[in-house]
Amino acid sequence: MRPSFDMTNDPDHLTIDRILAGEQAMYAELVNKYKSYAFTIAQKILQNRPDAEEAAQDAFIKAYHHLKGFNRDSKFSTWLYRIVFNTAISYRRKNRQEFQSIETTVVDYNQDSGVSLEKTDKKKYINQAMAKLNEADRTALTLFYLEEFSLEEIASITGMQSNTAKVRIHRARLRLGDELKNILSQEALTL
Amino acid sequence: MKEISRKLEDKLLLYADGQLIAAEQRAMEEQLKHDELLRNKLDQLKGMNQMLQNLKPDQPSRNFTQLVMSRLDEYPAYTNGLSIRNGIFLLVGVLVAAGIGVFLLSSGLFDNATTTLDFNPELTKRYFDQPMPSIPFNGKIVVNALVLLNLGLAWLVLDRAILKPYFQKRMQSAH
Repeated sequence: MRPSFDMTNDPDHLTIDRILAGEQAMYAELVNKYKSYAFTIAQKILQNRPDAEEAAQDAFIKAYHHLKGFNRDSKFSTWLYRIVFNTAISYRRKNRQEFQSIETTVVDYNQDSGVSLEKTDKKKYINQAMAKLNEADRTALTLFYLEEFSLEEIASITGMQSNTAKVRIHRARLRLGDELKNILSQEALTL
Repeated sequence: MKEISRKLEDKLLLYADGQLIAAEQRAMEEQLKHDELLRNKLDQLKGMNQMLQNLKPDQPSRNFTQLVMSRLDEYPAYTNGLSIRNGIFLLVGVLVAAGIGVFLLSSGLFDNATTTLDFNPELTKRYFDQPMPSIPFNGKIVVNALVLLNLGLAWLVLDRAILKPYFQKRMQSAH
């Protein structure tokens, strides 16, 4: 169980205060800190690197413009990731027709350089299996396995109730297990 | 073919996560000894957990932060789900509907459209002693209200879906 978080001690609040006071450059600190997870969330929803990059960037810009409205009831990261999630969902709706197939997504991952074959394969199979889930389940599951987020945070980011998030992650894990089994059996047959 | 029930599957996942209480855990271990299908499922779940262990976040491009910082003054493209073009279509539709309403009003079509909404049909009378209210209904007033609502909506569409995005775009191109 992750320890509960005291909002008053959130170091981001100080940075946010400085940004709101006019130090725009300080925002780079927040972007650097949260870009990986923001991009991961967008990537899980869009399954397309260029779109995920653009959606994540747009989300950061949107968050910057609404920084004054951030009421500090939650962590800044949770608030930001919720914006990323919603922005990526909007992109997904808009680009549904041009949406990439699973095969193309796998090519994206294989292009990573300096990664061992075993690791790339693992990632490939996970992504193929994840692609069979819907975007909310995919995102929730990724956040769950990244082990950085509490269930409440995952629920808040994906716009679910905590209990719903718990059940959905549970079901999605079982489904992912089945999908991985199917993919790996198919692979074994083609060997 | 024998299948594992949903309930048992749920428990098995909790077992794989080490989240069962001692008694439940012992019961599950006992069941696992005799059920090969369950053992295979457990192996599958453990394999999945192992594959997803140490999952790392994906990395965006190296100049991600730079790109965000250079675009900070522009407003994101996806502020609302409506493009300017669709906003114009919606505005035209709303205005046409209001125009038709005004035309029909001015032609006098609704001048004598007065009726009463009667809540006392035969069936109701049979079961209720108290008479239900009757509401006089003037068609002209209702259509006038609808036209007014439409004009209000048109003003909102003009502001939110056309003017605001248009000036934001202009601001972006000026930067």
